[in-house]
Amino acid sequence: MNLIEITPIQLVLCLIFIVISSAGSFLLKLGLEKDLIWGTIRTFAQLFMMGYVLTFIFQLNNVILILLLFTFMIFWAAHAIRGRVKEEKVSFFIPTFISMIISYMTVTIIVTAVIVQVKPWYTPQYFIPLGGMIIGNAMNAVTIALDRLFSDLRKQRAEIELAFCLGATYQEATQHILRDVIKAGMIPSINALMTVGLVSLPGMMTGQILAGSDPLTAIKYQIIVMLMIVASTAIGAVIIVHVVRRRCFTRAHQMIV
Amino acid sequence: MKLQLQNLSLQYNNKASLFQNVNLTIESGDFVIIKGPSGSGKSSLLRLINRLQEPTGGTLLIDDKTLTDYDVTQIRRRIGYVQQTPVVFDDTVRNNLLLPFTYKTASEITKPNDTVLQEKLTAYLLKDISLDDRALELSVGQKQRLALIRTLLVNPEILLCDEPTSALDPESRTIVERELEHINQTAQVTIILVTHIDFSTQEITPKTYTLTPNGLT
Repeated sequence: MNLIEITPIQLVLCLIFIVISSAGSFLLKLGLEKDLIWGTIRTFAQLFMMGYVLTFIFQLNNVILILLLFTFMIFWAAHAIRGRVKEEKVSFFIPTFISMIISYMTVTIIVTAVIVQVKPWYTPQYFIPLGGMIIGNAMNAVTIALDRLFSDLRKQRAEIELAFCLGATYQEATQHILRDVIKAGMIPSINALMTVGLVSLPGMMTGQILAGSDPLTAIKYQIIVMLMIVASTAIGAVIIVHVVRRRCFTRAHQMIV
Repeated sequence: MKLQLQNLSLQYNNKASLFQNVNLTIESGDFVIIKGPSGSGKSSLLRLINRLQEPTGGTLLIDDKTLTDYDVTQIRRRIGYVQQTPVVFDDTVRNNLLLPFTYKTASEITKPNDTVLQEKLTAYLLKDISLDDRALELSVGQKQRLALIRTLLVNPEILLCDEPTSALDPESRTIVERELEHINQTAQVTIILVTHIDFSTQEITPKTYTLTPNGLT
């Protein structure tokens, strides 16, 4: 089966969904019309831009450019996390960004080099989409974990200070919080493991099937993707939560948040 | 353990100073009561001594050495601090009492067994409470005594008490007053307590000060 090429007219036709949604929003006074239209414009612009960038990068096949694009994607993910986690006292952008680069790059390289065994490992057709899926999913895990970390530290200020009064280090005083926070970040990707194939057909598998792949090949890739997402959310959440927790306390084990 | 407060001041976010020029020398074994209306900064003063926060100005000396020269977790263990609102965890009374022994700083102190813990509870009029009871189900007054016992289990040399008797009925209040006096007398534990209500002692005459915005009087 060959993939049906989408013409510009077909793409424009797709806008009918936005027209219907906007009309619904208008009639029900939801006030979402502006966001729907702006979101649509951004979807078109961002994906077209990515399409051109990917075409360019695929042609050059240059390892530095590929890693730069990957870092750029992580930068935007870290930026989105900063926007969603409302925290003013503790600056967490840079440690989050650096931790994300280290953990997600490691997992992506392991997947392409060791598991899928692409040669060379940075072949962009594999490296960028696989890495992108890791970043997208792990971003949600990190957002949930950081949001929960800051709110739990605030809520449990009295308990933490009590532990300090009894001689605890900040690590000892917040051990239980850290456990809860990492768990909270990981639950969505574990839930996804439970329901994949039953409730949802994941995007990558759908894409491969649409592109004409054998469903059995598609599911093998999907299994790799699911497991690498769990690994990267776990590694990312653990590292980032530890690094950011450090910044919530002074050297004298006093709370900053 | 000698404690010196030299020209201590505390100010929050460019507001007027909560207090300034606080000067006081507390010798080992002293019993000090600091009075003052609520909001005068009594609790904040204790937080500075325990290094839960830093002063805006001035210095704290312990045995003639700056407080910041000491390892902070060790010094906090040596300066016990019983906060005004007792904090207990959703766990048994036993595990709440043994909480400090889960921290590295208390690793050299012998962990008390159930008999010792039960004796402590009895001494503070908590004899009807079992070590297996849930700590969250205790009354505020009982939690306050539990918090005091817990702090004393790791042998502090100085004990900071924030309103230790304010939530207690007259009978329990007397017990806590006698017990604090007792540990001050027998174990030579320096007591610094802040309170807005009267605190009576039998054998000793505490050094009593009032905290004002311009220092201790």
